[in-house]
Amino acid sequence: MSDDNWPSPMPRPGDDDDPGAEASVFAVFAPPEADEPPETATLPEADEPSETATLGAEPSGGVLGVRRGSPTASGVGTAILSAGGADHLERPRRRIGPLSWIGAVLLGVWLVAMPLTSSVTELRQNTQIIVMVLAVLGVNVATGYGGMISLGHGVFVAVGAFAAAYAVDDLALPWALSILAGTAFAGVIGALVGLPALRIKGIHLALVTLGLAIVFQPLAKRVPAFSGGVSGRAVGAELVPPSWFGTSRWTEGLYHYLICLVVVGLAMWLTHNIINSRPGRAMRAVRDNDTASAVYGVNLVASRVSTFAVSASLAGLAGALGIVLVPFASQESYPFQESLVLYATAVLGGLGSLWGSVLGVAIREVFSRIGELLGDVSGLGPLGEFLRLLDEEQFVFGVLLVALTFVFPRGLIGMFKRRQDDQAPRADRHGARA
Amino acid sequence: MNWNFEILPDFIFNGLRDGAVYAAAALALVLIFKATTLINFATGELAMLGAFFVYVLNIEQGLWLWLSIAIAMLISAAIGAAVERALVRPFDPADHLPVVLITLGLFLIINAVAGDVWNYQVRRVNDPFGAFPSWVPNGSELKTSSEGTIACLNNADGELVEVAAGTADAQMCEMVGRTFFEVIGARLHYRTIGTWIALALALIALAIILGKTKAGLAFRAVSSNTESARLVGVNTGRTLGFGWALASVFGTLSAALVAPALGGVNPNMMLTILIYALAGAALGGLDSLGGAVIGGLVVGLIKSVLVSWFGVVVLGQAYFSILQLAMAFLLILIVLLFRPAGLFGTRRIERV
Repeated sequence: MSDDNWPSPMPRPGDDDDPGAEASVFAVFAPPEADEPPETATLPEADEPSETATLGAEPSGGVLGVRRGSPTASGVGTAILSAGGADHLERPRRRIGPLSWIGAVLLGVWLVAMPLTSSVTELRQNTQIIVMVLAVLGVNVATGYGGMISLGHGVFVAVGAFAAAYAVDDLALPWALSILAGTAFAGVIGALVGLPALRIKGIHLALVTLGLAIVFQPLAKRVPAFSGGVSGRAVGAELVPPSWFGTSRWTEGLYHYLICLVVVGLAMWLTHNIINSRPGRAMRAVRDNDTASAVYGVNLVASRVSTFAVSASLAGLAGALGIVLVPFASQESYPFQESLVLYATAVLGGLGSLWGSVLGVAIREVFSRIGELLGDVSGLGPLGEFLRLLDEEQFVFGVLLVALTFVFPRGLIGMFKRRQDDQAPRADRHGARA
Repeated sequence: MNWNFEILPDFIFNGLRDGAVYAAAALALVLIFKATTLINFATGELAMLGAFFVYVLNIEQGLWLWLSIAIAMLISAAIGAAVERALVRPFDPADHLPVVLITLGLFLIINAVAGDVWNYQVRRVNDPFGAFPSWVPNGSELKTSSEGTIACLNNADGELVEVAAGTADAQMCEMVGRTFFEVIGARLHYRTIGTWIALALALIALAIILGKTKAGLAFRAVSSNTESARLVGVNTGRTLGFGWALASVFGTLSAALVAPALGGVNPNMMLTILIYALAGAALGGLDSLGGAVIGGLVVGLIKSVLVSWFGVVVLGQAYFSILQLAMAFLLILIVLLFRPAGLFGTRRIERV
């Protein structure tokens, strides 16, 4: 993201002091471009430099002033505009902490070793976990980068699954197109939900999205053509691996695993690029101070709606991949608690960081496994009663959520970041303004 | 179009009864929002826990129903205050996100614990307003005919049926006969009147607590301006704990009132009620106590009259009955979009 990559209509520091409406539209609709070499996407903290740029690369206080909520238009202006330049300064100093290395190595080892050592069922379950990263990432885009709390992302996962099932069965489309259709449909629904977010902010938006999540399940029961009604719909089509890949159940599972892994990787890479492109910077500027960014030519409507669309289509993609793995979609699988869990997983891992979403899902899985193990211990009297509770994933997760909110208010990814985070004022620690 | 006005009063009464429950739950939300501008997403689950306390004390321990409700309210108040002290106070009140997370975590924990302890079956509870006390004159006249049968109003479809006197059916019939008045051709159930009276008494108590006691004065000071209240020596932390306790009492009241109508208590009983209560609170303005009451009643009326009566009876579209929840959601959306302060809330002026 060097200065040269800035397309001309965006005002640069001291360049053009009259950013018109035209410029703003251009700014937001500019196609997402890869501002960074793609290979950085595979490194932990690849999104760090740009994050640093908005967080605190301006020690003179312009950016921090905005974040303290006593904003000046020029503050955010500098935030937007300095992204390029500041990043330029930061890049040579990018460090990857030892913890990040350990995490990356562990993840790599797990990704290779897991399919080789798992049974067919375990492989399928683990692939579902990997796919879940996308839904969490969707929440992260809306809340961490866009500053809009969404407690209703389970709805988009469900919509993506239903739309993909509809496309592949009723429309007899090929799988690739069906998955895309599910993703796109969820994106459209997300854009619709994003519209109210133009006016409703903070905790009020949380309320609206929670309402959406609760209302969805009873409504979905009544649209049997789409959702299969109360009992759900079985997906007839199967994604069969080519014959050279082998025909056993295990190779089929492996095939699905590889496809999902590639799609998840691609989606993360794409998200990374979107976030670090012009619309992505606009997104973060709007999060930090919408009025100031509007003054500086960001089109708020387009920015908020497209942020929500991107975030919903990530969740929809997770839903569509889900029916590849388990050929069944039912509203039963998407109770509204699932939406809360998605949101909480995103926050647990750390908002405003791609790898935070991966970490959130990983931690959640690790703890629910530990809970299961402890839950199986029996015959300890009242202590056993308590341990039995640990079998309930929902309970373990709730406790984890409360505990980690105390210990790591910035999410677990905060452990990995050795930066001047402490300078970030408190109200913005979680990425969103409320 | 079938403008069946004859049964409209029935729908109005039902709507206002449900509305009273939503009003109590909305008050639980608003009491917390008013003081801290936080929405306690665990309101419904704390209320559900209160209803389970009533169940345990009344059904399992055999205590008098009203005593059980009173004790359950006290326990809930203690839990509310404890939650505030342990989980909410450590966080900066200006920062909403940690508290959203904490209340969401509480939501999941309480729901899972209740599911583990009482599992997810519906457990029958005693109705505090099942039948009129014996000193109330009978609602409908039951006359024994010469053949030894009585004409009995069938509660389900309102038809007169003949049952032999002295049988279980006849006793049932007398019970049913004692559960409602006939008012302008509609049935005003004892449960409906009782719910209204309970809400009215609770509101009077709340008005006295907030208006006449020192703790109430402190609460009003803190909700009006936390900083200034602290400067003049109000113990804001303790006052907020007091607010959470009050809110939990109202939550428990709503859950205890609604449980018999739902057929009993179960861990998911408050989910839909939470949505209606949120709609009521949003409509009234999230920081207005009176607004919450009126908002809750209006939501009950809209649900019953607009959706059930107009949609199902007048338009003859049965699918309207499933739109009740969607209606509540739409109401939240519309109010927040076009009038974020609700009907009676304080308008916020955003300084840029």
